[in-house]
Amino acid sequence: MNFNKNINLLLVLLLLVSGFTFAQQAISGLVTDEAGVPLPGATVVVDQTNDGTTTDFDGNYSISASDGQSISISFVGYETLSIVVGDGADYNVSLQPDSLLDEVVVTALGIERNTKALGYSVTQVGGEEINEIKSTNAINALQGKIAGVQISGNAAGAKGSTRVIIRGNSSLSGNNMPLYVVDGIPIDNTNLGSAGVWGGADAGDGISALNPDEIESVSVLKGGAAAALYGSRASNGVILITTKKGTGVEGIQVEVTSSVQFDDIKNDPYDPQTTYGQGRDYSTNSDTVDTYANWGIPLNGSSVEQWDGVSRPYSYKGNNLEKFYSGGETYINTVAVSSSSQTGNVRMSYSNLQNKDIIPNSTLDRNTFGINANQKIGKFSADVNLKYINDDAIGAPRLSDSPGNANYGIRLFAPSIDVNDMLGAGGLGTNEDGTEFRTSDNTFSQNPWFAAWQYFDNSVKERVIGSASVRWDITDFLYAKGRFGIDRYDFGRTSGTPYGTAYQPLGSMSESKLTRQQRDADLFLGTDNLKIVDDLSVTAFVGVNQNYVNSESVSASGSQFIVPFLYNVKNTQNQGNGYGFNERQINSVYGSAEIGYKDAIFLNVTARNDWFSTLSLAGKEAPNDDLYTSASLSVVLSDLLELPEVISFAKLRAGYSQVAGGAGNPYRLNLTYSIVDQGHQGASLGRISNGSIPNSEITPFEKNETEIGLDLRLFDNRFSVDFTYYDNQTDGDIVGVSASPTSGYGSALANLGVITNEGVELLINANAVRSDDFDLNFTFNYANNTSEIVSTNDAGTNLSLDEPRSRNLRVTHIVGEQYGALFGTSYNRDSQGRIIHDIEADGTPIPQVGPRKILGFGVSPVSLGFGSNMRYKNLSLSFLIEGKNGGQMFSGTNALAKYFGAHKATIDADGRENGFTVSGVDANGSAFTTTIAPDRIEDYWRRTYQIAEEAIYDSNYLRLRQVSLGYRIPGDVLENTFISSARVSLIGRNLFLLSNSVENVDPESGYNVSNSQGLEWFGMPVPRSLGLNVNLKF
Amino acid sequence: MKKIYLVLIVFSFVLTGCDFDKGFEEMNVDPTKAAQLDVNNKFASVFLRTSGGRYENWRASLIYSSQIVQHMSSTATYWTGNFYTLNQGYSTSLFDRGYPEQVKEIEDIIYQLTEEGVSDTQMGVARIWRAFIYHRLTDLHGDIPYSEAGKGFIEGILKPAYDPQEAIYMDMLAEIEGGIAQLGANTLGGSDLIFQGDVDKWRKFGNSLMLRLAMRLTKADAATAQAWAQKAISGGTMASNDDIAYIQHTNGPAGINRNGHGEVFDADGNMRISKTFMEFLQNGNDPRLPILAARRSDGSTTAADLFGMPNGLTGGALEAKYGTESSYYAEPNRAVLGGFDAPMVFQTYAEVEFLKAEAAQRGWHTGSVETHYNNGVKAAMQMLSSLYPNAAAISDAQVSDYLAANPLNTSSPMEMIHTQYWAATFLNEYEAFANWRRTGFPTLQPFGGEAVYPGNETNGEIPRRMIYPNSEESTNPENYAAAVSRQGPNTLTTRVWWDK
Repeated sequence: MNFNKNINLLLVLLLLVSGFTFAQQAISGLVTDEAGVPLPGATVVVDQTNDGTTTDFDGNYSISASDGQSISISFVGYETLSIVVGDGADYNVSLQPDSLLDEVVVTALGIERNTKALGYSVTQVGGEEINEIKSTNAINALQGKIAGVQISGNAAGAKGSTRVIIRGNSSLSGNNMPLYVVDGIPIDNTNLGSAGVWGGADAGDGISALNPDEIESVSVLKGGAAAALYGSRASNGVILITTKKGTGVEGIQVEVTSSVQFDDIKNDPYDPQTTYGQGRDYSTNSDTVDTYANWGIPLNGSSVEQWDGVSRPYSYKGNNLEKFYSGGETYINTVAVSSSSQTGNVRMSYSNLQNKDIIPNSTLDRNTFGINANQKIGKFSADVNLKYINDDAIGAPRLSDSPGNANYGIRLFAPSIDVNDMLGAGGLGTNEDGTEFRTSDNTFSQNPWFAAWQYFDNSVKERVIGSASVRWDITDFLYAKGRFGIDRYDFGRTSGTPYGTAYQPLGSMSESKLTRQQRDADLFLGTDNLKIVDDLSVTAFVGVNQNYVNSESVSASGSQFIVPFLYNVKNTQNQGNGYGFNERQINSVYGSAEIGYKDAIFLNVTARNDWFSTLSLAGKEAPNDDLYTSASLSVVLSDLLELPEVISFAKLRAGYSQVAGGAGNPYRLNLTYSIVDQGHQGASLGRISNGSIPNSEITPFEKNETEIGLDLRLFDNRFSVDFTYYDNQTDGDIVGVSASPTSGYGSALANLGVITNEGVELLINANAVRSDDFDLNFTFNYANNTSEIVSTNDAGTNLSLDEPRSRNLRVTHIVGEQYGALFGTSYNRDSQGRIIHDIEADGTPIPQVGPRKILGFGVSPVSLGFGSNMRYKNLSLSFLIEGKNGGQMFSGTNALAKYFGAHKATIDADGRENGFTVSGVDANGSAFTTTIAPDRIEDYWRRTYQIAEEAIYDSNYLRLRQVSLGYRIPGDVLENTFISSARVSLIGRNLFLLSNSVENVDPESGYNVSNSQGLEWFGMPVPRSLGLNVNLKF
Repeated sequence: MKKIYLVLIVFSFVLTGCDFDKGFEEMNVDPTKAAQLDVNNKFASVFLRTSGGRYENWRASLIYSSQIVQHMSSTATYWTGNFYTLNQGYSTSLFDRGYPEQVKEIEDIIYQLTEEGVSDTQMGVARIWRAFIYHRLTDLHGDIPYSEAGKGFIEGILKPAYDPQEAIYMDMLAEIEGGIAQLGANTLGGSDLIFQGDVDKWRKFGNSLMLRLAMRLTKADAATAQAWAQKAISGGTMASNDDIAYIQHTNGPAGINRNGHGEVFDADGNMRISKTFMEFLQNGNDPRLPILAARRSDGSTTAADLFGMPNGLTGGALEAKYGTESSYYAEPNRAVLGGFDAPMVFQTYAEVEFLKAEAAQRGWHTGSVETHYNNGVKAAMQMLSSLYPNAAAISDAQVSDYLAANPLNTSSPMEMIHTQYWAATFLNEYEAFANWRRTGFPTLQPFGGEAVYPGNETNGEIPRRMIYPNSEESTNPENYAAAVSRQGPNTLTTRVWWDK
């Protein structure tokens, strides 16, 4: 307990508080239910000070309070009771069962609110949902659990980023991800690098660093009404994460959580042809050493000279994926020590995560230290919160375009090619001299072992997230609160192409360091449930906020190593360096007032004004600020009206909100120039820095949202339905109006984007069986969001986003269409829809490449989840099925599998022996059905590679996302041990794809988390995980 | 209650006392960037970017142009120019890089000079260089954005119109003339990566470029061609190999400093000397042979070891027909030509002499056809050692021997003149491609006379154009459509205006 005293002392010093006088007394009592049975774990709070404790195993509590103060005693499932401290009062209470579970959720600015007062939709997920079946990126554990929140990983392996979208995309090209707030402090979620059309690796995002074991709860504020108080940064919704505190602990508690998970690729849907061997022109005689070419003759076991000059049987060599990807492993161990007293609590934790990805040479080692402390001193209470996170990542896998992407060859090698023959004399894909053991005469087709083992991309991220807040209860209804938080990290990355790579023989590398910090300071003044008259209460506050972000980076790069294999930038022939700096600030004033009538009708209004540094420029005429408001109403019908008994609770809610956003990037208002590179023969090189045409008059966008909802609970709360309809519109989105590159620029900035989203969210809970020994619950959630691009720019022309490496398609915003159309080349068809072909001299039909058109949409409108929890005595079983529907994907893997003949679609039912039958029309419109000779089939399919339509798939799926089987060791077994609680669970993630409308690849295989969704190009397989989780408390 | 009032007063004081955007205008100025530069800083950049990076030199120059004109050949099927197949991105690579890099920068320079009221050498050089940049683009693609291009910021034009090639040519010629007239006593100083501040050489280059552009029009508009050619010649063109327009590249420190072709040589071993070009060199007993060619397998430059690769054959087809592998054949001699620090040549004195020979033959110029031809051949041979340090010098005697053995056929000299032009523009592939299309010389057989490559895009014809990027369809649809409807389908075989 010495530690606790020291913390007390520290907080005293921190607060510089002195000279308070107040008369406190220790009171104690017993809390029982209506039958007089003690209630352990009931919450006891002094309303005026927020001091709190919980009852012990026997229902007893003790707490300090002054005369005249009130104490609220609450317990889940029971009505909260309030008693006033006074002479001779009886502090033993018995609670009455509540008809409504008094649910408390964390809302904006960390304020806990009873759900019934909320005029908007908030979904809270308990930490146990995240702690048990862990993901290296904690937020992935929410997938499928919250209606209206779309969570998509990408095929970047365990270290990858996650795209989270709430109620649709609200910005055409700006950030669409929510604001993450951890213990009251907004944190940075910048993606530090990802793959694009030319390849690359995912360098992770900000939220992935959080330790899943430390999460107490996650609250998702979906709509603008919920988010207005966080300002423009919250225009895409807010995810509030509360980490575990030391509250409710008797004395000192030690908690140990250990989990181990094993990953494999058993669920990878790749199903290539295994009948025809390597070769071109329907022969084994490969004219070039192209190990991807699946155009050989049927495998016949004959001895054929292969790519490396070695003759081997021309036969199926087995599944190269299984040979290349090995078992992934993740170990997460957390130790936490908690302690609490009547006036404060503290929790310290240490966690270690070690992950070995399924691809060779890719690991993550994460160490997290955290401390949460809370202390009350009279009318002051202080929270201090500190997290230190160290991520050490080795070998971020490259995705998309070929060089260095090990996933490429693994899927394309012809069946007569064995990846295990490619290790090379030097091992790990090298020759004896350490250079690449080439497996193709195309220098861009990398030996996969070499790509995984010799390419390097390692990073270290050291991060501190800290906050301190002080609350001063000025009177019993008025308080002031100040809060300061910082999120700062240093990120260092070393990446490069090794010496001896076929396409870049002398290699290259870069070193970069980035420091980024975000500071938030808030000061606000508020009232707590101030009763104006009997039936009227007011909860209100006003505040100011300052948010400041800066980042500074330095980099050094070099190409052509002088001493082979010495990976140091100084050891390169050509060196370059870079420096970057940017900063921005938002200042805000905000206020909120909630008026409650009879504790059954609640009206909440908010207003906020944001000033943006990013929109400030001397001489600018358009405003650099925006004022926006929200109003929401909650009507608890069941408290106002006599409803049939079957209805235990009914609430209607409605909200309207505005929120500004989109002004996240500095320095976009004017044209600037830079001196680039290092000159040439003494002359310096200067040029325009802007790739986009600047616009000095841009303003923030404004998003308006309306939502209505119904919260209905039936049969004694055993069946509940929560339904929401919302409709939002973003006006004046800052868009890069597409410009022809012949203008010199790729785009021009303007406030011209308009986008709407409309949707429904449905959450159903059913408690089918409720008894002492057996509980059975079902949950179902469903969301359907329809987006529409209303305006892209003044001319209504298309707004182009990213393209895949085939460059025959672009994710494009098209007026009148949904967000992110997949706009690419199509088959040229006649009026009857028949494919038009060019007929070659030998009669071979080759399909014509038709115009670009809308081939699909990369964002699935429908997402759903279905889950169940069962408990029999101490045994519990839960599962979650999750799915998406209605979207499409461009699959580069399938496009190239067809190009190279690995795809089964390139083979007729009777094989290639008799050719390949094609029907269509020729250029004159004459219909034909003809058989392409076996040696010309590849020419047909090579052309289809130019036709994006051929590689478009519906991206619908249903996945058994997770299953856990848990056992809580009964208390009587532990009675004579030092363990107070123990739980063991078997867990599984991504167990099966119950349905998948994409061929050969996982439907969630996009290569980045940008706005250009729906692009797939040789990503990592999505692994299946099986594991064990143990939680012990001492 | 006093406490409450105090708190409220303090809080409202905080609110009202705040200037909520104090310091924001200063904060939003990028501390790492400049509001404007000395224009000379921009010249060096635009020269290097015109020389270009690996990207377009690999694709538009080597993979397409060098293969089409049968300077080179390759068995790798992604060398699409050898098989007349279409790779959109390769075909559009100069267009894709030329506008955002070269055009954007030269238009910015001219805008700055105009704003600053500069009308002497800097403006003259800028106008000549702008014409140089655009002539390569229009020669490859035909009608292109010209009068409205590169002005996204300057004039807010996001979707530039495509100008007809005829109008572009008329304007480029006038611009060169105007630019030459502005060349004065001032220089670009150290930023003049082409002529190191020698304004007289800029004048000669301006006239030589004018001559190149003028002669380009012989098929389309002979009268205009004649008028401008005469103006160019009388203005004074390049007079020796000292006047060659080129950039000396260096091996780094950055990619921009390197010769784009040199970077391709470093990255790609698939290019070979075409059988067509090899036979020309061998048949003439050309002293350039061991300088330009070396056997792929061992770098040998011994004449007996050098074989040209037939065009249009994949490795399998080559092996099937000739029983050879690709390493058997000669490649461009990387020891001489292939360095990162090799010069990138824009126009040579030799070319000028050949154009003058043609002008003389047409009667547009009074000089001797034969003299110009001989001067051209001599210059083309002797420039190699002045441009490439590792090239053996070709002596006057060797030149004389060659000319004695290969005298100009004065009765029909065009084929020899332009075949020599073709040889002289080895590694200036854009120019070789344009001049071949105009003159038809040397006479090239599709696929070098080999079998028609199945799956080609041109119905077996030699391509005559590079296509427009697909992106123009979406980012500039009306203007793109107008250009296609005026010029013809966006294919490899549609002829540009001066090639009709």
